Amino acid sequence: MAVATRLAWRNVWRNPRRTALSVAATVFAVVLVMLSVAMAAGVHEKMIEDAVRMASGHVAISGEGYREELTLEEFVPWDEEMAAAVDGIEGAEGAAPRISSFALASFADASRGVMVLGVDPVREPTVSDLPSRIAEGRWLEPASGPGRTHDPGARGRRSIVVGRRLADHLGVGLGDEVLLYGVAYTLETAYELFEVVGIMRLPDPRLERSLALIRLDDARDFYVYGDRASEIALRASSAAQARALRDAAAEAVAPLEAARGVRLEVLDYEALMPELVQLILIDDAGMYVLLAILVVVVGFGILNTILMAILERSHELGVILALGLPPARLFRMVYLESLLLAGVGLAIGLCVAIPVLAVLDGHVFLLGGDIAAASELFGMEPTLVFELKPMNPVGSAVTVFAVASMAALYPAWKASASSPVSAMRSL
Amino acid sequence: MRMRTMQAKPRPARASLSPEARERLRPCGLLLAALCIAIATVQPARATAQVDAATPTPDAEAAAAELAGLEPPPAGLDARNLAERALRALRSDTTYMSARMIVTSPRLTSDRVVAFESWDDLPGKRSLIRIQSPSKDRGTGFLKLTPNLWMYVPRVERTVRIPPSMMLQSWMGSDFTNDDLVNESSELDDYEHALLGVDRRLGEAGAHVLEYRPLERAAVVWGRIVAWLDAKTGTPLRQDFYDEDGERVRTMVFEDLRAQGGRHVPHRWQLTPLDKPGHRTVIEIDEFRFDVDIDEEIFTTRNLKKTG
Repeated sequence: MAVATRLAWRNVWRNPRRTALSVAATVFAVVLVMLSVAMAAGVHEKMIEDAVRMASGHVAISGEGYREELTLEEFVPWDEEMAAAVDGIEGAEGAAPRISSFALASFADASRGVMVLGVDPVREPTVSDLPSRIAEGRWLEPASGPGRTHDPGARGRRSIVVGRRLADHLGVGLGDEVLLYGVAYTLETAYELFEVVGIMRLPDPRLERSLALIRLDDARDFYVYGDRASEIALRASSAAQARALRDAAAEAVAPLEAARGVRLEVLDYEALMPELVQLILIDDAGMYVLLAILVVVVGFGILNTILMAILERSHELGVILALGLPPARLFRMVYLESLLLAGVGLAIGLCVAIPVLAVLDGHVFLLGGDIAAASELFGMEPTLVFELKPMNPVGSAVTVFAVASMAALYPAWKASASSPVSAMRSL
Repeated sequence: MRMRTMQAKPRPARASLSPEARERLRPCGLLLAALCIAIATVQPARATAQVDAATPTPDAEAAAAELAGLEPPPAGLDARNLAERALRALRSDTTYMSARMIVTSPRLTSDRVVAFESWDDLPGKRSLIRIQSPSKDRGTGFLKLTPNLWMYVPRVERTVRIPPSMMLQSWMGSDFTNDDLVNESSELDDYEHALLGVDRRLGEAGAHVLEYRPLERAAVVWGRIVAWLDAKTGTPLRQDFYDEDGERVRTMVFEDLRAQGGRHVPHRWQLTPLDKPGHRTVIEIDEFRFDVDIDEEIFTTRNLKKTG
């Protein structure tokens, strides 16, 4: 074995330039594969995180059927007992109730249908990053501590936070009073004036055009919703923990569900945002196909290099065979040459990619220009993130090496199967 | 270790294929492997991307069966004329109406009742609705000046144009939408009309069943409307509304027909949304006045703000 390895190693470097080129191709492929996989992992993680922060959290508890209709008809109870149950859920980093419905927003001559979200000013920041999106003015203020205030007078003025584009459309600024007009749960008309206290910028332009936030207590009065909410959003420590949190939440609300005679639905983000999960799947599939093609091309590169080497050395190989070297050992030697070639490329590739990724890991790069515009169109922040997962180098190494070992078979077989006489005569 | 198994393989294989053939096949094998990887990665994405195929619901089948059982229509009837007669049965050029709207819902312990008056100018495509009760909504007005719909809320003294995005929202908490207030008069111009047959179960002399299909250019929210029109008087007796997927979504039944000035006018209109069990909206008309004189001033935003 040792002799074969040493021989193979020497053979590999008999044509240093060709070998270096082949190694360079392998290095390039390994680095590219690892960077792509790390980028996809980072970007996808960020997409999920952003979506979860913008929308219903990792897990949402709502009345059964709420997701289909998105009306006030389906609700989840929200009172002290429910709050206690939700706060006791293991793995929940935050919990925020919301009341969500449509209303007509109007100011002066302008009007627009908006999605009104009643949020708890204190609880909301534990789940979403809506509070940090305020570009002008301030976040909704809790009236008097985190509890519910029944007396609207003690709560101060009704306040509203609107998206920048919505504010521009309505022509409102801070301090202006927007009229919200809608239909309450009791089917009576609901209309009130709300003072604009904050204007927010959101990554999704559609949302920025249509989202208006008011306090949960104000929303309860506005929609005559009593001790109800549209959904309770829960936050897990990471996307990977979402399923565990979903199960824990379902278990925690089950007794309440039975006691109140309501039917609830506990969904994780994969069920809440199936389009996102599919987008990621398709994105991944496309990337893996391209990477597979790249790796296969590298395999052919190695095959080609060794095949050329064999061809050049066919006279020499014929002599070795004629001297009585068993074809099996010749096969092993040539096979090793291919593997060494791939191994060297792989080792250098890993040595380059791992430190680079270790530096890039977790950094968020802001994009500009057309790419930024395009990603905004899809409601995503124009950012690039890399995330190095342990499976990334391992998977890349195994794949490249596996393809190389397949590509190595042919030249090895070709060398060992040639007849000594014809080999010696050929060159 | 690995090499040992590798080196054994090439020999027995040698007898089966000619070297040239094998040489040609090797790269094919590699390509095949690449293809397998590609397909394996694409497949799961495709599987989850599949959407449930639409299956006919029980209601869709019932609706289709009902229409299939119709008698063939008598010859010589023009579908568009029938549509016009139906429109005229309920409305004159200028119509005044005083009515109560009764909303029933599983959410409510007692029905919600909204009383209102309306003035309608059919050729001018204008109308005004003024809410009289409940007290919270007293004085609220809706002014249609096609294509705009304005609302005035006296309590906050604001006039609001209802934007297109709010058209499909509930009107005053009922099962009617804002769109129902606006789009009524397009019945003739925005649809293609076809006579489907005669239904003997409705009306004294049966009912003509007329299908309204929206023209492509028309801004209509329905996929189609099927109307039952009294064969003798032309009065609408029932209307089924279908969405764009061909699903029947709501049914309106016209009852309590009273003769008035040569018309047979239904005084009770009942709207049932089929996708919301337990919900129902009935309009009971207390007074109909046809061909009344309406002051031009009525249909102005200035008048909209007068609530006295």
